[in-house]
Amino acid sequence: MRGDMEAKYDFDRKFRRQVLQCSRCGFCQSVCPVFGFSLRPAYNARGKMLLLKEVMDGTIDLNDELIETLFQCTTCGACEENCPSGVNVPDIIKQARKDMVNIGSCHPAFKGMHEVLENHSDIYAEDDLPDFGRERNRKAPYVFFIGCVGAYREEEATESILDLLDYLKVDYTLIDEVCCSGVLGDVGYSINDRLAEKNVERILATGAHTLITGCPYCARTFHGKPEYQKLKDSGVKILHVSQFLKDFDFGVTTSRKVTYHDPCDLGRHCGIYEEPRETIAKIAPDFVEMRHNREKALCCGAGGGVRGAYAANSIAMARRRLQEAEEIGAEVLLTECNSCVHNLANAKLRKQKVKILTTAQFIQELLEEEDKI
Amino acid sequence: MPEDLYYEENHLWVRDEGDLLLVGMDDFGQKMAGDIVYVQLPDEGKKLKMGKKFAKVESGKWLGKVFAPVNGELVEVNEELETNPGLINEDCYGEGWMYKVKADDKAELEQLIKGPEAIEKWVLAEIEKYAQE
Amino acid sequence: MDERVKKALVDIVGEKNFNDKLIDMVSYSYDASEYTHRPMCAVWAESTEQVSKVLKLANEEKIPVIPRGGGTGLTGLAVPINGGIVLDLNHMNAIVKISIEDRLAVLQPGVIYDDLARALDPHGFFFPPDPASSQVCTLGGNVATNAGGVKGAKYGTTRDYVLGLQLVLPDGRIMRTGSQCIKSVSGYDLTKLFVGSEGTLGVITEITLKINPKTTASTTAMAAFDDLGDAGRAVSETMHSGVLPAVLEILGKEALIAINRNTDLNLPEVDAILLVETDGYTQEETDYQVKKVLEVFKRNNAREIKQAKTEKEAADLWKARKSAYAVLARLNTHQVLEDVTVPMSRIADALIGIKEISEKYDIMIATYGHAGDGNLHPQFVYDGYDPDVAERKKAAGAALFKLAIDLGGTLTGEHGIGLQKAAFMGLEHDDVSMNVMRGIKRLLDPNNILNPGKMALDEG
Repeated sequence: MRGDMEAKYDFDRKFRRQVLQCSRCGFCQSVCPVFGFSLRPAYNARGKMLLLKEVMDGTIDLNDELIETLFQCTTCGACEENCPSGVNVPDIIKQARKDMVNIGSCHPAFKGMHEVLENHSDIYAEDDLPDFGRERNRKAPYVFFIGCVGAYREEEATESILDLLDYLKVDYTLIDEVCCSGVLGDVGYSINDRLAEKNVERILATGAHTLITGCPYCARTFHGKPEYQKLKDSGVKILHVSQFLKDFDFGVTTSRKVTYHDPCDLGRHCGIYEEPRETIAKIAPDFVEMRHNREKALCCGAGGGVRGAYAANSIAMARRRLQEAEEIGAEVLLTECNSCVHNLANAKLRKQKVKILTTAQFIQELLEEEDKI
Repeated sequence: MPEDLYYEENHLWVRDEGDLLLVGMDDFGQKMAGDIVYVQLPDEGKKLKMGKKFAKVESGKWLGKVFAPVNGELVEVNEELETNPGLINEDCYGEGWMYKVKADDKAELEQLIKGPEAIEKWVLAEIEKYAQE
Repeated sequence: MDERVKKALVDIVGEKNFNDKLIDMVSYSYDASEYTHRPMCAVWAESTEQVSKVLKLANEEKIPVIPRGGGTGLTGLAVPINGGIVLDLNHMNAIVKISIEDRLAVLQPGVIYDDLARALDPHGFFFPPDPASSQVCTLGGNVATNAGGVKGAKYGTTRDYVLGLQLVLPDGRIMRTGSQCIKSVSGYDLTKLFVGSEGTLGVITEITLKINPKTTASTTAMAAFDDLGDAGRAVSETMHSGVLPAVLEILGKEALIAINRNTDLNLPEVDAILLVETDGYTQEETDYQVKKVLEVFKRNNAREIKQAKTEKEAADLWKARKSAYAVLARLNTHQVLEDVTVPMSRIADALIGIKEISEKYDIMIATYGHAGDGNLHPQFVYDGYDPDVAERKKAAGAALFKLAIDLGGTLTGEHGIGLQKAAFMGLEHDDVSMNVMRGIKRLLDPNNILNPGKMALDEG
């Protein structure tokens, strides 16, 4: 039996025990966003573990046919959270993707993303960083890092955070930022050293003691990846904007019914659930939770590269999350991730009246309504 | 590319239907975009300013802006595109129509590309432009 | 695969609902049991008519068809052990009707238990048999296995609630059984034949369930027993308490040790812990019921009795029971969950007997379960990759079944026979009844295409 075979792939070497620990109970089906919209067991964590088990046993081999499932996972971590056997599915998937790339088997969208970041400074290959009318690269105690989605797809959300920081008289600077490239590590490649170095250099050049970012993915990358260790070594504090804003009082409220969508990258991956809620509690007395919230939040479907590779499915997943907002009669859905906003907004049907915004955007709107900003 | 339509340089086609103008994305545009996954459908009544962006379209890898071909008002949208944006790829001149516009002054249509010669010249220039990128 | 058959299937369900891709075939080879076998292909059915046409075709071509819901069965009854077509019913997941006045719900087989529960909740109703896998199991599967749950002792199992079914027979004929009435004795009770038939006699395409009004009050308590025999006697003597608790669960020592190692629940590591919950409409009533049960416990040397005073405390008491499966599943590479059931007067003997088997074959068996209806869940936890260990597990499993039968029990209280216990059917059922079962199977499925190879129906 398997005991004597040499492990052929890194995912086997690193995660064999965990893959075997999957007891096939199928509980992951109840929380997986990809299974949720498709009802296709091959997409579910159990289905993926079964495939990898067969690869480890030598029954099948990694090949192009596996792309459709191994590269279609938002790495949201809900399966892991719900797994009685404690299988860390996202980490296993990320490693399996690296093994796939190593044998030349990869989804073209991710191969493309890797190539784009080899030659460009952002994932959209636009190379035309907007400055939002603010200064860049000056010396300041705070650096604000926007992230690709905020810069090129959700400009209004970014504008709002910057407006708020100005309103709060925070002394911050933007920088000539480039893609944090954290996504590459999740889709079978590795962080782009050249880009990481640029970011580190430019952040440190500002002399800032704190880096604030609106993107949970970037925050997670800066916090956790060795390519950005120098930031922490230099004493730079890394905050997601929700952790920063919670200490302020804005003096505005709304009577509308508000709910909050925990982004996977901020929630399950960073453990940040309460800070955004603290801020929302101050501005929205009529706050309701969706059926799945905090550790159990339902993924919007954009993460893990899925929005780039399987955009239509990504939107289908977002529709399921919006149903939960409809269920509780939410008029406003707030979240802390530009990718979530983007995907949910695309998925929203015209007849659905819920407004989808980042918390900062909403606060800025309220301030504007009262002519305070 | 049907020769009886007007074309806007960002790859929109316009059909004069009398009272209203029918607007969609042309074949060149939809091929360049790839599988369309999202079409923004603004509320009816929205005022359109010629040359100004009034909506956006997304495929897996690309975000495109939709610019108003004339001054006017958005009167109707193709709601089918909400759940089936791929119609644009499947039938861009028919079922994949996007917007119905009431023009302030239909004479503005003459500023768009029209007629087989002009269309051919434009398309060839576009092909070259994109081949270079 | 025969192109002609493939085309015929695509004609029935449409191209997007036919699948023979590798990644899907792998998924469909497995359920939650340890068995596996590749199917030939899979189809998603979206209507009873499609199910009927698929079966008609399969019957003519003599190709096996294996119905599948959530794929959470523990005994292999959704594994395509003879290849064939997996008939995935998850797209038939509509709740067709809820009628509170008629006290029933009509639904399609792909409805997930928790989704049904959520639909009934606003009406103040529920469907009592609640399997532990309720977040993923589908009602079609629940009916096919006569699923149980923690409330079995007081509320019974799925069979007690199925008023009627729509089914497709192996030859494609569609039929209805039962009635929309709460009771009927008109004709043979075919409904009860199909409930628990594990997908071997017909494919369920619509289910009419009796539902119950929810109780609004409950009281939960937990007691520790230093001696296994005492715990067992406490369970059987609960029948003398004068009340039927809604829940009576047991946790054995190995389970308690494992739970303590993996959580901070800090449970007493005694021979057994009993968890009791009573339900009703007023707190006075449920407290009274618990008092009667606790009197029985105390008479049997219970100590460390904890009664929950708030909902949170009750939830905390439940955490222990709910975490058992998970913490045990993490301990080794293989785990097998059995569900032997004995008459309640023999529970003490069963617990002691299981302990002896564990020691004799040197294999870890942690026991917990629904003591209230005699349904124990001995969980084997072992390294199945070690051939010696695997042998010992096999022998221990056989010994377990023999023990249960010797005590007047049954091989399975709620999981079903499937593949896992097929070899032991003869221990429990005499030749005449096995012949009758096989006769019924042959009558309805002369070509043996519907879920073949299960329940020992093929032999003899």
